[in-house]
Amino acid sequence: MAVSTADHAAVADPGVALAAARARRAAGRVLVTLARSVAIFVPVFLVATFLTFALRALSGLSPASIQLGESATPDAVARIEHQWGLDRPFLAQYWSWFTDILHGQLGASWSNGTNIAELISNGLAISLSVVTLALIIGVVFGFGLGTLAAVRRTTWIDRAITGFLTVFSVMPPFVVGIVLVTVFAVGLGWLPAAGYVPASVGTWPWFTHILLPALALSLDPMADVARQLRSGLIASYQENYVTGAIVRGLSPRRIFFRHVLRNGVGPALSVLGWRFPTLIGGSVVTEWIFGLQGFGRFANDSAQAGDVPAVQGVLVVSIVLVVTFNLIVNIVLGRVTPASQRGV
Amino acid sequence: MTRTRSNATVTATVPAARPADPPAAHSPAVDVPAVDPPAVGSGDPPAAQAAVLAVRDVRIRDDVNDREIVHGVSFELRPGRAVGIVGESGSGKTLTCRAILGILPAHFAVAGGSIEIAGRDIARLTTPQWTDLRGSTISAVFQDPASYLNPSLKVGVQIAEVIQVKSGLRRRDARRRALELLTAVHLRDPELVYDQYTYELSGGMLQRVLIATAIAADPQVLIADEATTALDVTVQAEILDLLADLRERRGLALVVVSHDLAVVAQVCDEVLVMRAGEVVEHGATADVLYHPRHEYTRLLIAEHEQYGLDRYLADTDTDTGAGGGGEQRKELDGVR
Repeated sequence: MAVSTADHAAVADPGVALAAARARRAAGRVLVTLARSVAIFVPVFLVATFLTFALRALSGLSPASIQLGESATPDAVARIEHQWGLDRPFLAQYWSWFTDILHGQLGASWSNGTNIAELISNGLAISLSVVTLALIIGVVFGFGLGTLAAVRRTTWIDRAITGFLTVFSVMPPFVVGIVLVTVFAVGLGWLPAAGYVPASVGTWPWFTHILLPALALSLDPMADVARQLRSGLIASYQENYVTGAIVRGLSPRRIFFRHVLRNGVGPALSVLGWRFPTLIGGSVVTEWIFGLQGFGRFANDSAQAGDVPAVQGVLVVSIVLVVTFNLIVNIVLGRVTPASQRGV
Repeated sequence: MTRTRSNATVTATVPAARPADPPAAHSPAVDVPAVDPPAVGSGDPPAAQAAVLAVRDVRIRDDVNDREIVHGVSFELRPGRAVGIVGESGSGKTLTCRAILGILPAHFAVAGGSIEIAGRDIARLTTPQWTDLRGSTISAVFQDPASYLNPSLKVGVQIAEVIQVKSGLRRRDARRRALELLTAVHLRDPELVYDQYTYELSGGMLQRVLIATAIAADPQVLIADEATTALDVTVQAEILDLLADLRERRGLALVVVSHDLAVVAQVCDEVLVMRAGEVVEHGATADVLYHPRHEYTRLLIAEHEQYGLDRYLADTDTDTGAGGGGEQRKELDGVR
């Protein structure tokens, strides 16, 4: 955009006005997408946080039972609940909790009083490292395999890839994880079997520690992306605009990248939109195998301890992750295939 | 940008067709420079001019049930001329076009005969040679123009893409040239249309855009396969005028395919009538229209007379007397 603006400025005044108009138009499209997404996501966030908060009232759990045990006197229970502000009206509690969230405060843990935001961010750093790497691996190989299968469709290459992907998608990550540990850590001794080293200590140790869990988690999104991309590309190749591009004398490579891929990539991108959050939350077993104190482990431990504020914090963070990631995917989709943003 | 035309096929066999009617009064001058316009219109075409497209006894077979679908189509097309192919659906006219463009659907194949584009036998072309030939020598437009344009790219960008790839122009120049083309196909607000997507344009506008993409790399032959079928009658007339105009100004040779005899009659010098894969009649447009020799051609013309508007107007003429009806009809003739 900037280049063409400069070009037009050199030519004539109407050119400048036109380039500006086009820039506004492009910016307008992004803004419309953004506004529409926000209009959907704000109510989603409100309802989801309200339900999350209502969990405590529904569960009937209390910090008193964690701190004092079963034999606590009603007086002691009342005192503790007063300390935690649980004797206030429900909506007042919700309001103060909600405003705290907006300031990034998730409260204190019932079991040991530590700051939940801190605990979660520790776990999230580990989980995000692993999941991001898993997604990168999944996307790179998923795109490669899906494209190869689509371009060579109905040949033995396509059949082999499709077959492997089916096997990948039905193998649970923990099985893959155990196999990887057995082969690469115990057998070959190339990579550490468990544990986590922060990136601040060193990039290479950090990378070697997250590589195996990331590989274990990557197979499922890889299979998903590859299969969605394959069917998307095959559908695109049958569209008339491909014939149109051929007749205009465009090369097969150009037709693939500019015309087929652009229109066939939508479903694969949408899959990524919901894959990311489920990977973050659903990696408990994998984290267990690789001895990582990640987000999934934290969620699991908090739920088992009956630590309601911690569970609420986990849910809020998950909601934010889901919403943010879907927002990003929506905006990317809006740029890649503008027609998909029409109506719906 | 002078084009070298190999003259492998010198034609003397094409029936001396009637020179084209001058295209209906079209106002704005096309400000895109025509590429060495060959003699068209008034004078007789030089007999020695090489055919830019030569189709000789082309047969197309369906490999699945091993049936021959098209049983020998032959015609030759010189620069600036127009050939029409008429026939009902399933008569093989679209398959013939696709064979010429090298885009036959899977399991269809040219089983006999030969096709030469600008003197090159297409049977021997490699994929890169095809890519080179398409767009810059031969191009095509189709029915349902929206589906032949990428829904995710601005239409102007798609025209500029062809120019950038085929003519090697830089982005800015390609954009300017694309805008000129949008003007040349009589779109009122080219700057606006350039930045629009297919779903924002009407059928008639899309067909103009599709024509602009097809002629962006200055092809010598344009195949219009049912290009006006889905359009309403006035828009259809405008698109046909546009094709005639391009033919006149750029020496574009046309292959016009339609199920509608009237469409072909309006643009073409020469007509092939196809039925069930067979060319049942082939000759100068006027000859075929006024002296049809084959039963099927007579049927097509008779149907036009029976169901056409002329017939209706003629009927109302006789019903209401020679009064207002006659004037009304004259007016309509003027419009047409």
